[in-house]
Amino acid sequence: MRSMKYILKRILQMILTLFILVTILFFLFRVVPGDPVSMYIDSGLDKESQELLLKQYGLDKPLLEQYIIYIKSMLRGDFGNSFQYGKPAITVIGERFWNTLVLMITSLAISLCIGVFGGALLAWKRGTKIDTVGTILVLAVRCAPVFWTGMLFLSIFAFKLKLLPLGGMNTPGTNFVSLYDKFFSADFLKHLILPALTASLYSAATPLLVMRSSMLEVVKEDFIELVRAKGVKEKKILYKHAMRNALLPVITVFAVQAGFAIGGSVLIETVFRWPGMGREIVLAVSARDYPLAQTAFFLIGTMTALFNLIADVLYAYLDPRVVIN
Amino acid sequence: MDMYNDLLLNIENLDVCYKISDGIVKAVKDVSFYLRKGEVLGLVGESGCGKTTLIKAILKLLPSNGYIANGEIYFKDREITKMDNEQLRRIRWNEISMITQSAMNALDPVYKVGDQIVEAILTHKAVSKKEAYSRAMELFNLVGLEKGRLNDFPHQFSGGMKQRAIIAMALALNPEIIIADEPTTALDVVVQAQILERINTLLAGYDGSMIMVTHDISVIAQTCHRIVVMYGGRVMEFGNAIEVLKEPNHPYSMGLKNAFPSITGEKRNLISIPGTPPNLLKPPKGCRFNERCPFALEKCFHEEPMLQGTKGGYVACHRFYEAEDLRAEAGKEETWMKIRKRRVMV
Repeated sequence: MRSMKYILKRILQMILTLFILVTILFFLFRVVPGDPVSMYIDSGLDKESQELLLKQYGLDKPLLEQYIIYIKSMLRGDFGNSFQYGKPAITVIGERFWNTLVLMITSLAISLCIGVFGGALLAWKRGTKIDTVGTILVLAVRCAPVFWTGMLFLSIFAFKLKLLPLGGMNTPGTNFVSLYDKFFSADFLKHLILPALTASLYSAATPLLVMRSSMLEVVKEDFIELVRAKGVKEKKILYKHAMRNALLPVITVFAVQAGFAIGGSVLIETVFRWPGMGREIVLAVSARDYPLAQTAFFLIGTMTALFNLIADVLYAYLDPRVVIN
Repeated sequence: MDMYNDLLLNIENLDVCYKISDGIVKAVKDVSFYLRKGEVLGLVGESGCGKTTLIKAILKLLPSNGYIANGEIYFKDREITKMDNEQLRRIRWNEISMITQSAMNALDPVYKVGDQIVEAILTHKAVSKKEAYSRAMELFNLVGLEKGRLNDFPHQFSGGMKQRAIIAMALALNPEIIIADEPTTALDVVVQAQILERINTLLAGYDGSMIMVTHDISVIAQTCHRIVVMYGGRVMEFGNAIEVLKEPNHPYSMGLKNAFPSITGEKRNLISIPGTPPNLLKPPKGCRFNERCPFALEKCFHEEPMLQGTKGGYVACHRFYEAEDLRAEAGKEETWMKIRKRRVMV
């Protein structure tokens, strides 16, 4: 009951955050130099036609009124029409958003597993060769730019060994009857492996290092000694007590990282020709396609806020010392 | 009673070292003592004299840079230093349990206190979770905690409650030996006495034994049968608790006795021992207490004293034969002031 209240409160907070985000986005794009008028309305048109077009887009009204109209229609689920495509922005970005999301969640899940277990292993084997080599390796991976590791993987696994496809999300010419079919077909999974691996290797480093140092702190704690004095088996001490306690700071770091991962997906999507929204965002911003860019950033913001919410709830669940009120 | 058959723990010539970047610290050197079944043994000495290292060595719970360099620890007829991890694991808590020094962080913060007691029981006994839980309730009752608090997390406990919970946990399996590292420091004086009495009654109930590290001479006088006085990693004196407190044979024991008020005895000034404990990275030649000993002779700075048999134990002092005269001297404040002067001169 108390935890339900807590979650509800956090959701309300999230909605407020998103509202602020939308407001900032709205004005930010309009402050940035360059305007859609010059990009979408041919200067060769006569004055009247130009004004007619402006009116059609609603760009003739004062900024504040535009903002109110925008918020009102957003609440109805209408994100406006893309200037470039003339179609609803949500339709343009929607499909691509799912593509990005699937790639991102897969890679985040993998990186969390690598981070938690890898970090625990390195800490447990502290001072041994496994720790030394492992830490150096992790740092090396962390320093390597994703587009470079991505191309490296492509040249090895796709080009040389021909084990995996070179890019894209599915083999050209394949058709899918449903979303489920699309995301759970063997063909799709084959295409997913390399980009997901590249992204997860990159984003695994931070949680891994946090997990490692957190574990090193925890194993020095008195309660670990007491558990050992209790005669509990080493393996059980490792996962039930040491890892369980060391996990807490990792959750926090991970939530922050999830936000970066969405932002960083642009590079991965470019290298692997993944039809995600990364490239679409870049295009939309440079083309001053306000509705499309705003929608895309709003979706990213929502995802980030959602990850933070999940992390907070998870943290409260994992650490009884967090007082819920 | 047979003199030798009831030996529960026998430590012989134990050396424990820590490897640190500056070299090797001999935290415990040549320590020997024994514990009989049903006895309470008090371990006293200043902070950093190796008490905690010694008791951790008994369960082989030393940190990774610590190791037993020499000596034997016999638990009944089994040699603990030669045991593998699995054998050790079975002895831990089941036969030798421990009350740690700092109760504040001794419980895992993410599990309920009750579950942690249950874990200790289930690790060693083939009982159902329910049975283990009812044992936990019984234990909470014994140490004066409400059984409803078993469902609380450690952070919901006060320091004293945590200490009681750990005491309850230590008693869970009726171990033959409880090693208690200052078990009651987190408790106020009134409760201290209560809890100690409770532990002693429980131990007496099944003829269990205890090794108790403490700074409190009065606690030793009240509860301990035997006493080990440690200084700088070595045993200075070992013997019957009352006898050692009444008639200490080692100047350090005499000094310790001086530093505590006597409730029943005559009113007198407390005398502290000037100086600081030796650096164990480079222990002094000869007797480790030499620099702070008011009775130190030339010999004490060169030759390590041999163990000399006393009434109920032994003492490591070159001037043991003059102990009676030294005791009279040690009672005077001027005697100890001499060391301060000597230190200034050096």
